[in-house]
Amino acid sequence: MKPNTNSKSVNLTVGGALRPPRIPIGRWLGVLPFFVFSGLFLIAPTLVLAYRSLEGPDGGLTIGNYLLLTSETVVSSYGMSIRISLTTAILGGLIGFLIAWVVSMGGLPPRFRLITTTFSGVASNFAGVPLASAYVFTLGRVGVITALFKLVGFDLYRTAGFSLYSFLGLTIVYLYFQIPLMVLTILPALDGLKHEWREAAENLGATPFQYWRDVAFPVLTPSILGTMILLFGNSFGAHATAYALTGGLFNLATLLIGQQISGDVLHNPGLGYAVAMGMVIIMALSIFIYSILQRRSERWLR
Amino acid sequence: MSASSSAKANQLSSRFIYVFVSLYFLIPLGATFYWSLRGAKDVLGFEAYRKLFADTNFLPAFSQSIVNAVATILLSLLIVVPTAYWVTLRLPKLRPVVEFITLLPFVIPAIVLVFGIIRLYSRPPLLLTSTYDSSRVLLICVYVALSFPYMFRAVDNGLRAIDVRTLTEAAQSLGANWGTILFKVIFPNLRVALLSGALLTFAIVIGELTIALYMAQHTLGPYMADLTRSKVYEPSAMAIVAFAITWAAMGIIDFVGRGATRSKTKVAID
Amino acid sequence: MRTKNFAYHLLALFVIAATLLAACGAPAATEVPAAATEAPAVATEAPAAATEAPVAADPMAALYEAAKGEGMLTTIALPHDWCNYGGMIEGFKAKYPGIEVNELDPGAGSGEEIEAIKANKDNPGPQAPDVIDVGLAFGPTSKDEGLIQPYKVSTWDDIPDSAKDADGYWYVDYYGVLSFEVNTAEVTNAPTEYADLLKPEYNGQVALSGDPLTSNAAALTVWAAGLSTGATGEEAAQAGLEYFKALNEAGNFVPIDGDSRTVGIGETPILIDWNYNSIANDIALAGNPDLETNIPTAGSIAGMYVQAISAYAPHPNAAKLWMEYVYSDEGQLAYAAGFCYPIRYNAMMAAGTVPEDISAQLPSTEGAFFPTIDEINAAKAIITAGWPTVVGVEVKQLP
Repeated sequence: MKPNTNSKSVNLTVGGALRPPRIPIGRWLGVLPFFVFSGLFLIAPTLVLAYRSLEGPDGGLTIGNYLLLTSETVVSSYGMSIRISLTTAILGGLIGFLIAWVVSMGGLPPRFRLITTTFSGVASNFAGVPLASAYVFTLGRVGVITALFKLVGFDLYRTAGFSLYSFLGLTIVYLYFQIPLMVLTILPALDGLKHEWREAAENLGATPFQYWRDVAFPVLTPSILGTMILLFGNSFGAHATAYALTGGLFNLATLLIGQQISGDVLHNPGLGYAVAMGMVIIMALSIFIYSILQRRSERWLR
Repeated sequence: MSASSSAKANQLSSRFIYVFVSLYFLIPLGATFYWSLRGAKDVLGFEAYRKLFADTNFLPAFSQSIVNAVATILLSLLIVVPTAYWVTLRLPKLRPVVEFITLLPFVIPAIVLVFGIIRLYSRPPLLLTSTYDSSRVLLICVYVALSFPYMFRAVDNGLRAIDVRTLTEAAQSLGANWGTILFKVIFPNLRVALLSGALLTFAIVIGELTIALYMAQHTLGPYMADLTRSKVYEPSAMAIVAFAITWAAMGIIDFVGRGATRSKTKVAID
Repeated sequence: MRTKNFAYHLLALFVIAATLLAACGAPAATEVPAAATEAPAVATEAPAAATEAPVAADPMAALYEAAKGEGMLTTIALPHDWCNYGGMIEGFKAKYPGIEVNELDPGAGSGEEIEAIKANKDNPGPQAPDVIDVGLAFGPTSKDEGLIQPYKVSTWDDIPDSAKDADGYWYVDYYGVLSFEVNTAEVTNAPTEYADLLKPEYNGQVALSGDPLTSNAAALTVWAAGLSTGATGEEAAQAGLEYFKALNEAGNFVPIDGDSRTVGIGETPILIDWNYNSIANDIALAGNPDLETNIPTAGSIAGMYVQAISAYAPHPNAAKLWMEYVYSDEGQLAYAAGFCYPIRYNAMMAAGTVPEDISAQLPSTEGAFFPTIDEINAAKAIITAGWPTVVGVEVKQLP
C-alpha cells in the first residue's frame, strides 16, 4: 500500500501551487474513524437534542422554544456566559502561558516541569462542588484569606465590598481549572521553539523582546488561539461549579438549561434543549471567527 | 546585558512567577485539607478520613474507573492522532469542521448527552444498554468522544511544533508507508503532546459523574458522590484523597511515558 | 529524585495490584439479567379499574414471586439520608430477599427523573427507572404525558383524597415543613421567624437550599416568606420576592447553594430547608457543631412529594411490591424514623400503630399551610418569573 506521493510532496513544498482536483479515497481513510466515531457519539446525540428542542410543553412540534430564546432572561444568560468565558479564556491563557514558559524555558530545574504537568493534569478537572467548597474555605466569609485580612483589620466583605458570589469571584474560581488546561495544552507548542532560533536572533542583535515579538509569538499564535478557544469552550459549558457557587443570583446559559431539564420547579425541557442548541450555534460562530484569525496567523508560516 | 546576568534575571523572574501562581493553587487545597481535619469536635484529626475508608466498596469502583480511563486514552489516541495528522497535512479545508466537532462535548450538557445516547442505543438494532458490560463499552465510547477537545488540541499543538511535512517527506523518500510513518515517526515525536492529552483524558474519566450515574455504572465518580452526600467534613477529605489518587496515577502515566521513549532518538530536522 | 522514582514504582505496583484484585473479585453483583421477560400474570392484582381492596396476604405472596422473577428494582432520586430512605431500602431488601435494588442517581431532581423515563422508554436495561419520587406538581403532568402507570396499593383508603390521584397514578408518600437550620456555634441568638432574618445581627448568614428556579424547597421558601407577612396566595408570592429583595439589599442573604456542609462550616449558618433534613443533619453532625431546628409560626408551609410507577418500567411487579412496602405500616414508620410525616399518619394514629417515641419526635405542623397543586403552580409562576429581575444579578451591582 505504498502511496504515490512523490509528486504530491513536491507540490506541497512549493506551497500554493494548484493541483487538478482529484480526491482519492485513501485521503479520507485517515479521518474516517474520527467521523464515524463522532457521528455515532457526538453528532447523533446533537441531532436528538435538536429534535427535542422542537418539542413544545404539550408534546407537539413547535418552534416556540426558539422564539423564547429572544426573551430577556435567555439573552442575558448567553451574554453572561460569553462574558465569563472570554474573561477566563484570556486571563487563563495569559497566566497559563506564563507558567508554561517558566517551566519549559525559564531556567528552573527540570523537576518543576514534572510537578507542574502532573498537578495541571489533576487540577484541570478539579471543578464542581469540591472546587466551589475549596474557595468557600479560602475566600468565603469564613475563609482562610478572609480571616487573614481581618487580622490586619481589613474586612474583605464589608469594607471592600468583595463577594465570592459575584462575577469576580466566579472568575477567580474558574481560573483554577482554566490555567492548568492552558499549561498542559500549550507546552508541546513551546517545546517546538528551537534554541537555534533564539541564538540566531541574538547573533543578529535582537533583544529578547524583539525575539518574542518577531519570531516566537508569530510561531506560537495559531497554537495559542487554538488553546484559547478550548478554554472558552471549557468555561462556556461549565455548570456544576457555577451552580454550587451562585445559587440563583447569577444567570448563565448552562444554569438555565439545568433549571428546565433537571430541576424541581420549572419543567420545559424543550426550552432547555433549545437553549443548548443556541450554545451549539454560538460555539460554531466562535470557531468560525477563530478559524479566520488562525488562518491569518498561519499565513507567514507557509 | 551579558548572557549569564540575563539568564539570572530570567531565573529570578521565573521563580517569582512560579511561587506566586503556586500560592494561588495551593492555598485552596490547604484550606480544604484544614477543613478535612475538623471531622471530630474541637480536635484536628483524621476522623473524616477514617469514616471514608470504613467503606469497603472503594477498590472495585476505583479499578473500574482506572480500566475505563486506560481504554479511553488508548482508543482516543488511535483515533485523534491520525485525524489531526491528516487534517494538517492533507485536508486543511476540513479543519474548521473537525475543530467544531471536537468542541461539541463542551456545549452539550452531560445530562443531555447521556439521555441522547440512551435514546439512540437502547433499542434494536443498536441495543447496547441491556447488560452492565455492554453499557460499559458504550460508556467508554462516550468518554472517548468527551476526550476529543483536549486530545485534539494537544496533538494539534504538538504537530505544529514538529515540522510534520518535512518529517513525512523524509520518511516517504526513505520508502516508509503510512503505518510506519504514523507509528514510527510521528507518534514518538509527539511524546509531550500525547502525554498532555493522556493526562487530561485520565482526569476526566476518573472523576466523571453524570454520565456514569445515568448509565448505571459503578465507577469512582458515583461512588465518591454517594459517600459525601449531605456530609460536612467528608467531602473535603474525599477531595484531598481524590487529588492524591489522581496525582499518583498521573505520575505513573508521566513516568511510563518518559521511560518508554528513552530509547528512541528524536528525529531532528535542521 | 531517586526516592521519587521509588515512590512512583511503589504506586504503580499498588495500582496494578488493585486492578488485579478487583478483576479477580469481579463485580458479579452488578450483572443484570438479560432483557426482562414478561413476569407471570398476578391473578389478584388491583390495577386502576378495580374498586375493592385486595385481600392482604395472598396478593403479596404472588406479587413477591412475580417480583423475584424480575430480580431487580431500579430506583432513582432516593438519597439515603432523606426521610430515612436508606433504612426503607434496607427494610425492603430484608423483607423481600432476591430482589436487587439498583439505585440510580440519588441526587436527581424531579426533572431528571421525568427525562430518565422518557429517554429509557424502550430500554430493558438497568438505566430505566421503575419508580419515581417527584414533587407534587409533577404528578399530574407526568400522568398527562403518559409517563406513569396506575396502581392502587392495599392501604389506598388511608391516603387522604387531596393527596392522591383518583385513578391511582400518583399519591403522596410523605410531607414536612420548612424550618430554619441554625448553626448555634456561629449564631448565638437563633432566629425563629422570617421577620427575624431581616435583622442586622444576621448579616451575611441566611441562605436558601438552592436556586428558586431549580429547587422546590427554595421556591417554597420564597412563598413562605411572603406568607409570613400576612399576604395569601399569589400576593404572598410577590411579597416573598420583595422580602428577598430586602434581605439581599440588607446584606443578610448569601447567594450560594446552601446545604448541610455550608451550615456546618459556618459559611451559611442559617439555612432554610425541610425540617427533616435539618434534624437529620443535626444528628449526623453529633455536636460538631450543634444545630437548632426552628419552625416559624408565621409562614409555615408544608411540602409534599409523590411516588409513581413508570409506565415503561422494566420491572413492573418489583415496582408494585415497592409501592406496597412504602405504604405499609413498616414503610410509613421508616419515614417517621427519618422525621418525615408519613401520609397515612392520621389513619395509623387512629389505628394505634404508631409507637410513642416515634410520634413524639415528629414536630408539630399546626398552622402549616398545605397548598393545593393549583396554588403551588400559580405561586411558582410568579416567583420564577420575578426572581431574576426583582432579586437577581440585574438589580444588585456587581464588580
